[in-house]
Amino acid sequence: MVIFMENIKKALLGFFGFFGGVGRDFIKGDIFVKLSALIMGIGFIRRRQYVKGILVTLFQLVIIVFIFSFAIPNLSKFPTLGTVKFEAVFNLETMRNEVNDFDHSFKILIYSLAAIVVLIAAAFFWLQNIRNVRKSEVLSREGKSLPSFLDEVRELRDKRFHVVLLSLPCLGIILFTIIPLLVMILVAFTNYDQQNMPPAALIDWVGFANFKTLFANTATSAFGYAFIKVLSWTLTWAVLATATCYIGGVMVSLLINSAKTKFKSLWRTMLVVSIAVPQFVSLLVVRNFFANTGIVNTYLSQWGVTDFLKDIGLVASHIDYVPFLTNPQWTKFMIVTINVWVGVPYLMLIATGILMNIPQELYESARIDGANPFRSFIHITMPYMLFVTAPFLVTSVVQNINNFNIIYLLTQDVYITTDQTLANVNAKEIDLLVTWLYRLTQEYYNYKMSSVIGIMVFIVCAIITLWAFNLVLKTNKEDKFQL
Amino acid sequence: MRKITFKKGLSFTARHLFLLVLCLIWLIPIFWLVLNSFSVFQGVNIRRFYPEEWTLENYRWLLFSGGDSIAQFTVWFRNTLTIAVFTCLISSSFVLMVSYAMSRMRFNGRRGLMNIGVLLGLFPGFLSMIAVYFILQTFNLTNNHWGLIMVYSGGAGLGYLIAKGFFDTISETLSESARIEGATESQVFLHVIVPLAKPIIVYTVIASFLVPWMDFIFARIILNSGLSKDWTVAIGLYNMLDRSSINTYFARFCAGGVLVSIPISVLFVIMQKFYVEGITSGAVKG
Repeated sequence: MVIFMENIKKALLGFFGFFGGVGRDFIKGDIFVKLSALIMGIGFIRRRQYVKGILVTLFQLVIIVFIFSFAIPNLSKFPTLGTVKFEAVFNLETMRNEVNDFDHSFKILIYSLAAIVVLIAAAFFWLQNIRNVRKSEVLSREGKSLPSFLDEVRELRDKRFHVVLLSLPCLGIILFTIIPLLVMILVAFTNYDQQNMPPAALIDWVGFANFKTLFANTATSAFGYAFIKVLSWTLTWAVLATATCYIGGVMVSLLINSAKTKFKSLWRTMLVVSIAVPQFVSLLVVRNFFANTGIVNTYLSQWGVTDFLKDIGLVASHIDYVPFLTNPQWTKFMIVTINVWVGVPYLMLIATGILMNIPQELYESARIDGANPFRSFIHITMPYMLFVTAPFLVTSVVQNINNFNIIYLLTQDVYITTDQTLANVNAKEIDLLVTWLYRLTQEYYNYKMSSVIGIMVFIVCAIITLWAFNLVLKTNKEDKFQL
Repeated sequence: MRKITFKKGLSFTARHLFLLVLCLIWLIPIFWLVLNSFSVFQGVNIRRFYPEEWTLENYRWLLFSGGDSIAQFTVWFRNTLTIAVFTCLISSSFVLMVSYAMSRMRFNGRRGLMNIGVLLGLFPGFLSMIAVYFILQTFNLTNNHWGLIMVYSGGAGLGYLIAKGFFDTISETLSESARIEGATESQVFLHVIVPLAKPIIVYTVIASFLVPWMDFIFARIILNSGLSKDWTVAIGLYNMLDRSSINTYFARFCAGGVLVSIPISVLFVIMQKFYVEGITSGAVKG
């Protein structure tokens, strides 16, 4: 926690330091520095940096046009998300439906956010510009020659090369990750669902009402019940899936990499082939393989296994197949098992790489000290593996919480819930939070609740990550393994 | 003496037998896929593990007949290939650019940007998909391959960690000496580091090339017109197993699955070599 707080402190100091710096430069600067807060290029033009001066002024003009033509019209409707309802009137003269000038609430939401992002960026640029003008002033006071525009462009290839490297990727992330994410976070505070779908209807802000719905159990909504159920299965699944794959993968890789094993690369390739087939192919095949009337059930009943399972009570007596992917308990068991099938080859590969990286000197000295292979496994291999893979384990728990593919591909269209309370809120026993979220949006257009669930997923992942990394930092044994 | 060799031989056989069984279990579904792709019977064969009658017709139908309104394998393949090539170009350059900047350069805000990256990684990816869909819709980019390319490569910069781990392991003295000889940072990047980073470049290129072949979630949201000719291989094959079509298309699905799996497997096996290298060096060096 200490390091985390340090980071926050540093970030805050840097953030406020920036504003302090701008304030200082503005007060100490000459009249042109002060004027450049009004017309951004004026200070540069005074110092004969014409190209730069004209460029920033042009930028300022673009922003002003942007503010009046885009930002203000949208942001002014942002508090209400629009008031003019969609109406189509049949015009007898043109014989056509005429649509009024209605407000599209969702577009207002998206455009307002985009406007806010652009304005924040422009504001930072504007403040930074004051600092730059002041820098030019100081330089020319000291009698030093100012960098020409060409010099500054050249800098972009050297000291400021990171600007070139990062600007496009960052733009991509802002457009395709950050803005959409912010939009969906805001949707969690609106009533956007199947009954309120723009453009036909307006949407409104509802505050924390959706969050209350998610935790409450009332006569009309069972989200509270479903949320607890889905959340606990999600967490169980994440831990089980990570642990089984990790243990299995390490065991298999130890077995394959042991000096006593021949044809190492043959075994490795055979395992890797199974994950090289895309998941939507292999998992759909597996799903049909284990279907109620599938091939596995045919063989199991031929061999009498089905009857045996009936006798010991693992299969209900009124059905004559094993409900691999249709009964809640069986499905959960199968999903974890099939996930081992998917995950172990990956883990085997990673573990192989790490095992090869363990310094052989450690084993040498252990052998000289008289340790047997088992003891060197317990005291060298295990701690080393755990140390190196600790961050990986945390990320795979988070990934498994978001492991959409395996559950969706195995159970979509196949698994039908018998729990009416869950079915009322479109959840299933085997759902993870993310598959529930996906179904709510794609099949039921319940955007408000899925956004709330999405925020919950984020909170769960954030808590796990923070907690785990603190644990790792507290028991930091880095020095023990670094040579 | 003899007893020991016998015991050793037994454990040797047991070990290899166990591995053989293990690998067979792992390959059973793949065998089933391949066997079914040669089946004359078009639905899911539930009587036997292997088909009763064998044929190559399923492959011929997919590759040379042009398909029908549901399945147009060659069109899907071409679509996916186009999308994959562009996605690969854009996202691998994004990943390499970001990872170089984060690993080898020091500038204000570097830590902050990396923290934001971690934070964004905690949100489920497709939470934002609905908003992305509406944004693309306003620009008329839904049901459009360019829209999908943007979705795949737009956020690619966030996946820089493995490549950064690799760049971290390249010694600083190399770039230092290049700088002393007057090289700019961009020259160091292009002429010193990039040639040394071949393994991680191969990894990044293949990994991003594979994304459109493997993904069907985003593709299904963006390409939702229901027109078979717009689809990628993933959505196409997924829809072939729709409840209404599975009984006529299952064997063809298997053939299609085999056909996409072959190039993907080859690329995957090449990639996994570099995957291990990248992920381990990244984990150790932080």
